[in-house]
Amino acid sequence: MQMRASINILIILVCIVFSSEIVAQTSPWLVSESDAAKINSFPVTPKNVAVGKNIFAQSCVSCHGSKADGNGLMKSTSLISAVFQKQTDGAIFYKLSIGKGQMPSFKSLKEEDRWALVNYLRVLVNPTMVPAAVDVKLDITTSESPNSVTAFVTASDSTKTPIADIDVHFYVKRDFGMMRIGHASNPTSADGKVTVVVPDDIIGNSEGNLTIVTKIENNFLYNDVESSVTKQWGKQLATYDEQFNQRELWGAQDKAPIWLLLLANAIILGVWSAIFYVIFSLAKLKKAGKIFTK
Amino acid sequence: MREVYRKEEQEQRLQLEQIVTDLTLPINKTYPSFKIWVGFLLLLIAVGVAMYVQQLIYGLSVTDMRDIASWGLYISDFVFLIAVSLVGSLITAILKLSNVKWTTPLTRIAEVIAVAAVVGALTIIVVDMGRPDRLWHIFVYGRIQSPIVWDIIVVNTYLVISLLLLYLPMIPDIALLRQRMNNKPKWQQKTYQILSMGWQGTDEQFKILERSINVLIVLIVPVALAIHTVTSWLFATTLRPGWDSTIFGPYFVSGAFMVGAAAVILLMFIVRIRYNYAKYITDYHFDMMAKLLVLTSLVYLYFNINEYLVPAYKMKTLDGEHINGLFFGHFSSMFWFVQIAGMVIPIFLMIFKPFRKPKAVLVISIFVIIGAFLKRFLIVTPTMLHPFLPVQNYPESYHHYTPTIPESLIVVGSFAGVALVITLFLKVFPIIPIWETAHEKGISNGIIKNSCK
Repeated sequence: MQMRASINILIILVCIVFSSEIVAQTSPWLVSESDAAKINSFPVTPKNVAVGKNIFAQSCVSCHGSKADGNGLMKSTSLISAVFQKQTDGAIFYKLSIGKGQMPSFKSLKEEDRWALVNYLRVLVNPTMVPAAVDVKLDITTSESPNSVTAFVTASDSTKTPIADIDVHFYVKRDFGMMRIGHASNPTSADGKVTVVVPDDIIGNSEGNLTIVTKIENNFLYNDVESSVTKQWGKQLATYDEQFNQRELWGAQDKAPIWLLLLANAIILGVWSAIFYVIFSLAKLKKAGKIFTK
Repeated sequence: MREVYRKEEQEQRLQLEQIVTDLTLPINKTYPSFKIWVGFLLLLIAVGVAMYVQQLIYGLSVTDMRDIASWGLYISDFVFLIAVSLVGSLITAILKLSNVKWTTPLTRIAEVIAVAAVVGALTIIVVDMGRPDRLWHIFVYGRIQSPIVWDIIVVNTYLVISLLLLYLPMIPDIALLRQRMNNKPKWQQKTYQILSMGWQGTDEQFKILERSINVLIVLIVPVALAIHTVTSWLFATTLRPGWDSTIFGPYFVSGAFMVGAAAVILLMFIVRIRYNYAKYITDYHFDMMAKLLVLTSLVYLYFNINEYLVPAYKMKTLDGEHINGLFFGHFSSMFWFVQIAGMVIPIFLMIFKPFRKPKAVLVISIFVIIGAFLKRFLIVTPTMLHPFLPVQNYPESYHHYTPTIPESLIVVGSFAGVALVITLFLKVFPIIPIWETAHEKGISNGIIKNSCK
């Protein structure tokens, strides 16, 4: 009975919590007319949509979900619903700049980036606003002092025309992920090249090798492509095998200190041989009784 | 001359008959209240099992244990039951090795409490596991460097020794039951038959038995100290405030002897009242047990003073927070109840003879037992709630620990289980050693031997 009562209380509590959330969600978010009427002076271009897509992947996807349907790690507003999309560009711009409740303010972003985000949200429900993506070729060349990587982007067809103004991302591969180097966006120049200097204080593997990866990703005009190069540009990974592969208290199962193994097993052996002596005595006891009955 | 001898033998034989009749009373007679009691215990166990099934389905989230307080009521219960079990070694081994004679009728009471409590402790530690299906990992992947592995080894070793120490001195009694209990169900007769190990009471058998018991008595003392010292090391080998103490081993052991003595008094009282054993478990036994309880409590009080006042004098940042929480903070009412009602007042009262009478000792013992359980909770929980590394972005509820209904009912079920093991033991075996009692009353070995052939 008490169990049921506690479950009931739990249900009531859950209802209260959820209903308060619903109230918070449904209370209207008013935007002044002047803000709503603000004009988006940045046209929908593949370039700024790509910028918007990058920002979305970085800052919005965790709550609003990869499809922007509001099913991220937490329940949030769907950005592809008709209700959301019928707002003016100005209203969306205002809301993402100011924030409210769980929605943080993104005033820290440049104004043009915020407009780019608005453009991206429009493209999400209307993909035909930008042309379909095409394949490109991504090559890497390296040069030393300073150590730098140059990405060279050309058209994938036989013309091999260099492509300008395409954002290339540079990474250094780590054990469990990729570390970004270079700037937030590294657009290629007119000759289709962009160069990024590799910092000289990155720790590589035991030989000091670094794997540098360049990527074209989240781009509307071009499909994802990546290529990588391995160079001995990093610091050598210092390992402390002589300390960590020794028999120590903090060692793994097979790295128990000898003294501990000896001590523990001696105690276990000593105690259990006494126990087995007693069990053996029980057998003798039984035997002694049998002799008597004969 | 022969007449006199025969008469004396006749008298001894009658006396033995009386003892046997008295001490087999629980086996022969089933009171209605016994059935109600067993039914009640089974109900509590069933509720505990039902809650545990719920825990298996929904995971440990049915408890209030979270990231910060990841040990709670279950671990408190575990430490408490391990503590209670230590009394087996105190009464049957330490006192016997010191040539104390008056404990004869209490040895089996102490030993059965020990076995039941260890079984309960082993159960509750599995209950505390989020993935009990991975229990075997500790045997396959366990590191000998880890105190948890030491604990697993030593608890199981102690269980085996306690079982042997319960069983071996009982062999002559079982042989007696084998002869007398012909009206019992087949399985029970068969059990006596097997467990009596063909006991005939020959001199050689006595010699073998005595030697084996002596080995066990010596062996159980270090193992008993080890079991609770290692349990204390589960806490003391960490750096956390409230656990980072060098005296945790003896502190736990002395506390264990105290609660164990109280547990023996409780069971002594129940057995004495239920089966009219006043002539076997006399006021003298209560008086002596009360004195033993005072002694063990005084030792424990001494360790408590060291354990709390030394850090309280220094008030190192985190230790100070911990001490403040206990002395004046959230846990203060429980803390002072445990220290005063569970230790200081019992010691003070039992110094005076009237408070060493059975009923008074019983009431005092119940307070000691409750205090001891809460004390284990106070050792485990407040420290858990003071994590060393500052934690961020945790829900407010993670910073408190209040046992939920399911976990409390599981713990109640574990107590019911311990009580059930003792109750069923009472029904099958004599709780007061028949042979040793007869021997102490001066009945000759020959007569006892003849009665169990």
